[in-house]
Amino acid sequence: MAEHATHDQHAEAHESHSTRFYWMIGAILAVITAVEVAIFLVKDTIGHELFLAILFILSIAKGAGVVMYFMHLRGDARIFQLVFIVPFLLAVTLCLGFLTIFSHHVGIAG
Amino acid sequence: MAIAEQKLTSVSPATASSGSFPWRTWLATVDHKKIGIIYIVSAFVFFLLGGIEAMLMRVQLGTPNNTFLSADVYNQLFTMHATTMIFLMVMPMNVGIGNYVVPLMIGARDMAFPRLNALSIWLFLGGGLLLYLSFLTGGAPNGGWFAYAPLTQVQYSPTAGMDYWILGLGLTGIASIAGALNFIVTVLNMRAPGMSINRMPLFVWMNLVVSFIIIFAFPTFTVGSIQLLFDRQFGAAFFNPAQGGDAVLWQHLFWFFGHPEVYILILPVMGMISEILPVFSRKPIFGYSFVAFSGVGIGFLGFIVWAHHMFGVGMGPMANAFFAAASMVIAIPTGVKIFNWIATMWAGDVRLTTAMLYAIGFISMFIIGGISGITLASPPIDLQQTDTYYVVAHLHYVLFGGSILGLFAGAFYWFPKMTGRLLNERIGKIQFWLMMISFNITFFPMHIVGTEGMPRRIYTYEAGMGWDMWNLIETIGTFLLAFSVLIFIYNVLSSLRNGEVASNDPWDAATLEWTMPSPPPSYNFLHIPVVNSRRPLWDAKYPHAAGDDHHGPSSAPSQVRYEYTDEETEGAKDIHMPSLTFSPMIFSGGLTVASLGFIYINKDILGLPTRVAALGFILIGIVMVSIAIRGWILDSRKDSPYLSQHH
Amino acid sequence: MSATSHAHDEAGQAPLVGSLGVDSRKLGLWAFIGSETLFFTALITTHLIFYARTKADLAAKGMLEHMDPKLYLGIDLTTILAAILLASSLTMVLALAATKSKEWPKFRFWLLATIVLGSAFVLGQVYEFTHLYHEGLKLAPQYVYEGETVKSLFGVTFFVMTGFHGLHVTLGVVWLIAVYFKVRRFAASPENPMDVELVGLYWHFVDLVWVAIFTLVYLI
Repeated sequence: MAEHATHDQHAEAHESHSTRFYWMIGAILAVITAVEVAIFLVKDTIGHELFLAILFILSIAKGAGVVMYFMHLRGDARIFQLVFIVPFLLAVTLCLGFLTIFSHHVGIAG
Repeated sequence: MAIAEQKLTSVSPATASSGSFPWRTWLATVDHKKIGIIYIVSAFVFFLLGGIEAMLMRVQLGTPNNTFLSADVYNQLFTMHATTMIFLMVMPMNVGIGNYVVPLMIGARDMAFPRLNALSIWLFLGGGLLLYLSFLTGGAPNGGWFAYAPLTQVQYSPTAGMDYWILGLGLTGIASIAGALNFIVTVLNMRAPGMSINRMPLFVWMNLVVSFIIIFAFPTFTVGSIQLLFDRQFGAAFFNPAQGGDAVLWQHLFWFFGHPEVYILILPVMGMISEILPVFSRKPIFGYSFVAFSGVGIGFLGFIVWAHHMFGVGMGPMANAFFAAASMVIAIPTGVKIFNWIATMWAGDVRLTTAMLYAIGFISMFIIGGISGITLASPPIDLQQTDTYYVVAHLHYVLFGGSILGLFAGAFYWFPKMTGRLLNERIGKIQFWLMMISFNITFFPMHIVGTEGMPRRIYTYEAGMGWDMWNLIETIGTFLLAFSVLIFIYNVLSSLRNGEVASNDPWDAATLEWTMPSPPPSYNFLHIPVVNSRRPLWDAKYPHAAGDDHHGPSSAPSQVRYEYTDEETEGAKDIHMPSLTFSPMIFSGGLTVASLGFIYINKDILGLPTRVAALGFILIGIVMVSIAIRGWILDSRKDSPYLSQHH
Repeated sequence: MSATSHAHDEAGQAPLVGSLGVDSRKLGLWAFIGSETLFFTALITTHLIFYARTKADLAAKGMLEHMDPKLYLGIDLTTILAAILLASSLTMVLALAATKSKEWPKFRFWLLATIVLGSAFVLGQVYEFTHLYHEGLKLAPQYVYEGETVKSLFGVTFFVMTGFHGLHVTLGVVWLIAVYFKVRRFAASPENPMDVELVGLYWHFVDLVWVAIFTLVYLI
């Protein structure tokens, strides 16, 4: 954490984007949502594993778009990234840990 | 010690405007020091209540087949004892001392969000009072502080006690999260020039780590208790296996919070110890970075060990092995801290003041509790000891022998700063030894009866199990322990009146809070200090020994009474502090009233009138909160630093 | 809100910047968002645990089709709701951009659009809840599907999880309205860009939670 001690008054320098850029991001997110629903409708033909893989990749892309560009986390002060990404990783750990424990796989959790 | 007798004249712009109602300056205060003192005093009152509950239980357990308490009352008492000591005593006591000391240590005039700080204290008090109200309204919570499902389901715990527990702790939980956010922003963003992260006092470090633990650990508890509330009020059955729910899920959600909670209780106290030991050893802390980063390490590891509280549940061997290994790994950063404290004292010029005695007492008792903790991290041993008094012994060695002895060290250390008078050292030392001895008389035999198989959480036991003598000894120890607390109360009351007047720096300390008058004026620093090292005050007093890598002072301290001159305090009138406001108190009062209403919204007591009254309480609460929000926004505009620039 | 940052004031330009070089309120809000992340994770995880269990039960009984959210929750309405919330994130960021370039009429338009879209989402969710309730999904450990009683916590976990998300959206709408009126009343206040940025961060986070719920609850 020591690197955050620098009294850098310009740490909060935003990447400023044009309005057009936000419209573009919005359009991309809308397309991703449409694709998500589309593959949901054809999931029986592409198989469950492939469906889940595509769905997760698309959702992560969508979430990352919101966080990086709408919330401006990309290019914002590192302390904001820290106080969001650390609990996010903790949350992923919580979710995967609980799902593993409650999976009742013999030898792992039951 | 040479002490100037002159009374300090500190003008506080905030208090000067309050007219003839001194109580207003407390109830409407946003001053971190006053809020800290309200925290400390109310936590101490809860400490006494929790202690009385413990004594009643010990009287019941002092002899076999005792009928002093019924099983039901016993359950209420042990639930409330633990809940009180954890949520209403150690946590707020840590927060209170942190509230008072942290802004002073980092060279700030207040916390980052003074009104949010006031909200935290009143929400904490509202939650605590709501919990204790349950004793008068049909029975206190009786499902244990861990609230294991399905015992907490409405059919097994039919009084409103557990609802009071959920909502009372919900309020203190909001207070904790708000307070932790305040600490995070204060510590990260309100430091004086030069007070870089790696120059912060270790107490500040530990408060920062604990604040992060609080905001990451409390949400799972909030979710679990909301789900429990839905079970009890609306028949949701999250944790009711008979209807498809899962009792073990509660344990996972609870301990995912509950284990980090243990570090929430101990880490700030470790920070206090790390301040006190160097001062009374006249040596800088040994291995500053190791102490700081082992605290961070404990914080992280604390999140992946929760299921070691649940070896008795019967998870799979892989899960058990993982949580056992992770738990044992925590011994490493903890051990690093202990060795650093010992190395700090090693070859130091040790002064055995009461604060120092308590700090050393903390280390020694915490080592015993730590070692019994390592034994419990091993599943085969844990399966033997779980739910016995061995666990009770372990947790009291870390929570009483650890947290509470450390808090006494902090009390003796910072009392002169907070009140302007020193606690009596002679009485303090007598009290220390009495407390150390009676603590061990009370809790050490629990190791023995525990290994002999005495279960915990029972309200009585048969004679002739081999437990009788030890239990009687424990009960006697409890009374001695209570007597030592009474001595402390006497010491505080008499010292407040007649105690030796404290100079700014009675301990020859190293950190910024000792540069100010005792007690400091409401605006703290006349001029925000510029910091050049980890020990700014030692550097100023002993310039020849300055610098991070050199040893600290070895000569006798120069007793200088720093005072703000009249001229300077006149200048302090230009320091803009936030105005008094009742909005935080009205806000938390509203939430408390609404919570009380929510408890009875779906209860079949007296039929319709109860529900109407409950609904009325909720509406009153919402109105109060709305009024408070409006007042809050107006206050925040009145005090806005943006606007004060342009007046 | 800060009382002590005068040392860092620079003539109305980001006066709340502290020792880390960031705004105190923004730092506090990001940390709060971190905390909220764990709050929603715990709710979603609970839902997934019971969902997997119900699914296994139904598969054993040969009734797996009951768990197809397409039949069960209705994907059409949810897709519309997801699109609404996504659109409101776009209007929110446009409102913030207008604040920074001091184009106040534009700002009012986009913020009002966000308020309208947010309210539409809440109303849509109220409609969805009543619809599902009439279909037989209750806040109870069992539900009725086409006349058959199924023992499952699906309704319980679903309503509590999405209900708390809806509560967050509702509070977000209230906050947006408050900011709208505050900016209208004190148009010259240098606090405005940060006020808008803060409510925006919260709003995008609520959208982010819906991205997760949409995938993990409605699509899987």
